[in-house]
Amino acid sequence: MVVNNLKLLVGGVQLRDAVTTVTDILGKLFVRAGLHVLAMERGYASTIYGAHQFDPLVVSATPPLSYGDDRTDILVALEHDANPDASIQPNRDTILRHGKNLKEGGVLIYDSSADAVETSELKARGVKVFPLAARQIAQRDLKMEVTKNTIVTGALLRLLEFDMDYALFGAYLEGRFLSKGRGVVDINLEAARRGRAAVEEILSSNGWDTIGYRLEPRPSALPNLLLTGNEAIGMGSVMAGCRFYSGYPITPATSILEFLEKHLPRYGGRVLQGQNERESIRAAIGASIAGVRSAVGSSGPGISLKVEEFGLSGATETPLVIIDTQRAGPATGMPTKSEQGDLAMAVYAGHGEIPRIVLSAGTIEECYSLAFEAFDLADKYQCPVFLLSDLTLTDGRKNLPQTFFTENQKPVVRHGLVRASDIEGDGYHRFAMTPSGISPRSIVGTPGAIFKVSGTEHDETGLITTDPSKRKAMVEKRMRKMQTYLREDAKPPQVFGSPDGVPLLAGWGSTKMPLLDAQARLRAEGTETCVVYFTHIWPFPVHLVAPLLRQGSELIVVEQNYAGQLADLIQQECLVETSRVLKYNGRPFYTADIAGGVRQVLAGGTRVVRVGEEAPDAAIVIVPEGD
Amino acid sequence: MSVASPGTAKLWEQNAFPRHRIQWCPGCGDFGVLAALKMALVRMGVMPHEVLLVGGIGCSGQTRNYLNGNGFHGTHGGPLGYALGAKMVDPGLTVIALAGDGDTLAIGMESFIHVCRRDPAMALILMNNGVYGLTRGQDSPTTGLGKIMEEHTEEHPPFVDPARLAITAGATFVAQSFSGDPKHCADVYVEAFRHPGFALVNDFSPCVTYNKFNTSNWYREHGEHIPEGHDPSDRAAAWALLDDFDRRGKLPLGIIYRAPRRKKAHARLPIWEEELTGIDPAPMFSAFR
Repeated sequence: MVVNNLKLLVGGVQLRDAVTTVTDILGKLFVRAGLHVLAMERGYASTIYGAHQFDPLVVSATPPLSYGDDRTDILVALEHDANPDASIQPNRDTILRHGKNLKEGGVLIYDSSADAVETSELKARGVKVFPLAARQIAQRDLKMEVTKNTIVTGALLRLLEFDMDYALFGAYLEGRFLSKGRGVVDINLEAARRGRAAVEEILSSNGWDTIGYRLEPRPSALPNLLLTGNEAIGMGSVMAGCRFYSGYPITPATSILEFLEKHLPRYGGRVLQGQNERESIRAAIGASIAGVRSAVGSSGPGISLKVEEFGLSGATETPLVIIDTQRAGPATGMPTKSEQGDLAMAVYAGHGEIPRIVLSAGTIEECYSLAFEAFDLADKYQCPVFLLSDLTLTDGRKNLPQTFFTENQKPVVRHGLVRASDIEGDGYHRFAMTPSGISPRSIVGTPGAIFKVSGTEHDETGLITTDPSKRKAMVEKRMRKMQTYLREDAKPPQVFGSPDGVPLLAGWGSTKMPLLDAQARLRAEGTETCVVYFTHIWPFPVHLVAPLLRQGSELIVVEQNYAGQLADLIQQECLVETSRVLKYNGRPFYTADIAGGVRQVLAGGTRVVRVGEEAPDAAIVIVPEGD
Repeated sequence: MSVASPGTAKLWEQNAFPRHRIQWCPGCGDFGVLAALKMALVRMGVMPHEVLLVGGIGCSGQTRNYLNGNGFHGTHGGPLGYALGAKMVDPGLTVIALAGDGDTLAIGMESFIHVCRRDPAMALILMNNGVYGLTRGQDSPTTGLGKIMEEHTEEHPPFVDPARLAITAGATFVAQSFSGDPKHCADVYVEAFRHPGFALVNDFSPCVTYNKFNTSNWYREHGEHIPEGHDPSDRAAAWALLDDFDRRGKLPLGIIYRAPRRKKAHARLPIWEEELTGIDPAPMFSAFR
């Protein structure tokens, strides 16, 4: 019997089968019961309806270290019919795609309303199969098709021997549906009971007492929240005093826009859905000129369209937070698949040279804390600050105690904003030369501190100039801010383990969790490694990184792109050689990808390992996805 | 908004500090715009620190540097975007975009259309000279005004009429002026600045160097004040007026269309530390439990 440790995958037809309503309900119930939920691999398509959608949840008693490999314990297939475009049997997408990953002794629940699915191969592997005619029961018995997922939920609760009295589920239904009438709550409870009765029959007819997995509530003193990385960025932005946000709809950044549209007005802020990517960033720059902390969010294609304004923010020394929730590029790429392909763009994009800061979140906690920091740094250094996230994080969910948000609260400090009372005489110069490179900034409406700001080169007063010495001084003043940043605010990479004489595994973004998981797996095999994980990437903190890297025996950079963008940056800045484990098929890194890749690099000779792809280059070694 | 005082007048009448050397060609229409802006702002009684001038790329955008008040100068096609953001933050500001026909109607067209629709309480003085002056004489979207062309090509399409476009796009104030008559311009600008929505002033501001067709004299011959009986709140009347002037080969000067929309008021957004203390995250929690 496995207690409080499983990976559950729910799949179905996008929109029609409402996959995420099932996982949302289950996730909330599990979290309310004191369990931990991690759901970082939501798979969806760039269409509204009809594609295969899936959503795996890792449920555990303690905070999970990683979302594990693609192995599944319990598979729930919500689709009731075959996919006419798939000729392979069993031709239901969820079973077809994910059945092969079911563990021996795992569980399959599928909707058998239309017909039974041939599952003898799965059964031969010890998988317990539960054909459940959920849609049929919903339509025929309850006269309400929409209850089919509640029937499945009821079946699952029974199989997991969890919340058998519906104390949690009932409370959830009341919270969600009571406003629509008691009847809606009751029919859902009835649906859950029907689901339970149906699987009860299958259990007894097979002579099974249990499915071998069970979830037990755990005492939890702290209320927990189950939220996505984008929602964490939204919350962090609100707490950081961001009061103007703009964005143009784009996957996977839109949920930040939606979150802030809902919440920011309550805090006195405004949210603008731009008519295009450029209006979005320009309005955010204008808002910053007027004094408010402002941000703009987008993903790859939209970030590309905004590039001209990065230079403007840098040249005019206008604070701006730019959130890039990366998805697989180039061009339209794979809008609903994850990649870490925008690092070079964040660090370099734009003509000319500007001061800029690039932060990268690797966990949902960091989405929150780095969002706060991004606004603080933008204010202090009066330059664009990029906050990078990636699709695994944007849509991934995790439970965090409410106290994480209430206890980590920091006051908002408006660095360097000039008030009328600070002004003496008429000597205010917006771009005054200072040792730090940071000039006191006035906003519109400050008596005595009128500014003339331009993206055209200017002198201390804002006068347009091409005078060589003034130009030189102004370039140096702007870029000096980056030296100040490196002295005062740069953070070293996070180090897990001792770097002395062992291979170093470096990474950024959402690879953090599988990296740490792979480290544990390698350790269990007797290979000690040290994980070096970057959140503050640009300006590159060479003084903090280079000595650390020299301690390791070798450096293996793990990232989700083709070239190895962080690896290139490290090589360029620290003059060290790197090996690379790269994955760019749209799926997140699994622990086995990293462990397998590292094993191959350490076995000798190989410099670049590309996960799960054919590659013509003989120097490139390939590990199959999922090891 | 502050009350006008003799001091305010002086602030606006003198050129900006720090003093920029004016770099317009002798006879440039933009001198008239500058003079008219000074008159209008004095009459408005606003203080320079309350004003944000957002300049476009091109000769017209330089105006912000020759005039008092805060100035922001961004990317080509961008003025209305920056102005929109600033105005949304602080409704108390007087926000004026100063841009040319290339900036507004070519590279900034998408912004222009949607800002007309959004209707923020700010003004755009469109210094329309029918040419890209700063890059030395290329066709702009308003090139060809008043020229009879029997045939067009893709390379040289008919001109865009910003007044008609603005009305169609939902602007609530559309006026035209000729910078050769700064007094009249100032009258129009004051109305535009006082308008509680987006105000377009299509100001014919000739390029003496690169537009040899739409010259000052040409505008003088073709400009004609809108008759007193015109009712600008009547959209059909505005359209009929434009048709009538077009038929007669004339350019209407004055307020063509003015029909304020009802809009929700919004307070200034929180900016200062004391407005951002004790932020309580709890109201955001409910959806996640």
